[in-house]
Parts: sequence; C-alpha cells; structure tokens
Amino acid sequence: MVFENVPYELTSYLFGPKWFYGFDSIIELIAIVISVLLVYYSYKCFKLTKEDKYLYFSTAFLLITLAFIAKIAGTLAIYKPRIARTQLGSSIHQAFAGLSPYDINAVAWIIYFCLMLLGFMILFLIVSRLTWKNQRVIALLFYFVFLAAWISIIHYQLFYITSFALLALITYSYYQNYKEIRNEKARFVAIAFGMLLISQVFFVFVIYLRVLYVLAELLQLLGFVYLLIPFMLIFRKKPKLQNE
Amino acid sequence: MNEKRRGKLEIIADILRSMQKKEGKIKPTHLLYKSNLSHAKLKEYLTMLLEKGMIEEKLVKGRKMYFIKEQGYKFLLEFERIKEFSESFGL
Repeated sequence: MVFENVPYELTSYLFGPKWFYGFDSIIELIAIVISVLLVYYSYKCFKLTKEDKYLYFSTAFLLITLAFIAKIAGTLAIYKPRIARTQLGSSIHQAFAGLSPYDINAVAWIIYFCLMLLGFMILFLIVSRLTWKNQRVIALLFYFVFLAAWISIIHYQLFYITSFALLALITYSYYQNYKEIRNEKARFVAIAFGMLLISQVFFVFVIYLRVLYVLAELLQLLGFVYLLIPFMLIFRKKPKLQNE
Repeated sequence: MNEKRRGKLEIIADILRSMQKKEGKIKPTHLLYKSNLSHAKLKEYLTMLLEKGMIEEKLVKGRKMYFIKEQGYKFLLEFERIKEFSESFGL
C-alpha cells in the first residue's frame, strides 16, 4: 500500500498483505542480528590487522543494520492497531511525538533508502578493489547513489532497481571469487548475495501484487541466513594444540 | 593478506606454523630456513613473540629450541579465521 501526499509530499509505504504485517519486521530483525555479527567480527579483524578493508566491510554492514532499524521503526509506526499498541509501537510514537505515523514512516523509508544504498555501494567498492585513491570514481558513485535515493522518495521502484544493479555487480564479484578459490564458504556468500539480488526483483513489483512482498522478504531472510553459514563454519574450527 | 609482500601478522603466523608443524618445537637454524627471514629480522620477531608469551625458549640436550605456547596456538587459530573470513567474503 502506498500512501500518497502525506505532509511535505513525502510518501509513506506499507507493503505486503495484512496477514504478513509484523512478520517482515521479524525477518528484518534476524537480518539485523546477522549484520551486527558481521559488523562486530570485521571490526575486530580491523583492530587486529589494521587493514582498512575490514573497516569498510564493517561500515557497510553497519549501514545495512541501521537501514533495517529505520525500516522496522517506519513499519511499526504505521501498523495498526495491534503493533502500534505494543510497548515498542507506543515508544516509537512517543519518541516522535508531534509527527503522525505516516510522517514517521515516510522519514524512516528515506533513511532506509539512503543507508541501504550506501551500504551496498561500500560493498561494491570493496569487491571491486576500489580504494580511496580512485576518488573521482567514488565521488561519481556517491552522486548516483544519492540521486537514486532522492528519486526513490517519489518512485520507490528506483531504490530496488538501484539495489538490484549494485547487488548484481556484487554477486558477480562473489561468484568470481568462488570460482577462483573454490571454497565452500565463498559459495555460500555468492549464493547469499544472489538471493538478495533476486529478492530485489520481487520488491520492484510489490505494488502490483502484494504477495510478492512475502516472497521478497523470505528470499531476503534466506540470503542473510546464507551469509551466516560461512561465518558459523569459520567459527566451528577448534584450536589445534598439536601439529597439523 | 596473501599479497606479494608478507605483512607482520603473516610473518608471525609463518613462524608459529613452522613450530606447529614440527610438533610444537623447532631449532633456530631450522626456523631461519623455514621463515625466509634474515637473521636479524628473525631475532627481532622471536624477541617479540617471547615477550608476548606466544613462544618460549628452552635448552634441550644443551641446544637452544623454541616451543610454541598456548597463546601462540590461539594466535594461529585467530589468524586462520581472519584469513578464511577474508577469503570467503572477498576482502
């Protein structure tokens, strides 16, 4: 459902069938937990190795985490009557007293668009091996990402199309990475981003068929679960106290 | 991490791995050959590893030997995890 012409001409969004209200936030909460794990561990790697790539990776997933938090806040603000009456729902309303749930939802979606695209952009920079030395390319990318986020406020589809484009490039890089190292964990990472990529296609068309939102969210969930698997496989390794 | 030049952490991991492969202990001459470092550089790294408690120096039958300690094994495990994380996530 798209609520047009909310104050300041911002558009607030609530996709998906009614029976799915709230489940999307649970899915995003799971994505947040997985993203936070990646943020924490890559930051730990940065502290140990002092290599910037880990810091960028950590930043990318931090932005994705914050984007999902914004989306949850925006969605919970508008879910009525059940979720709005919960402690979390009412605390969101109290925190933004003076704003209507639709305003909160609209602002939250803008934040979601910006942060998510920035997160994907940083991931794209990492997998493309672009460094801060490529300032002009990065500046141009920033410009396009902000442009996409801005226009997405009016046409939400542009956000998902841009995400699709960035994720397509990221997935291709991860597929190449898997082909190069033939590692089981790298395969899971490539599949994870592939699933996130397909979910964007469904998101583009949710306005025409609500059930697509359910499929998109489930694919997104699967994508994040597939990101968790290689992470868990790495940590399954036990210390060797004798020779190999 | 596995670029042309080895980083500091990679050199430390190589030294510890050499010890691990030799059942946790190694002779200095063998280590010099395995680590692919100059004598002065190796000494510098060994001093650092001794200070950090990752290895210990002992005399075995009157000859100096280096032994990897629990801290050293822990470092190796963490290093391997970071390497795998880096490879899997294309970093």
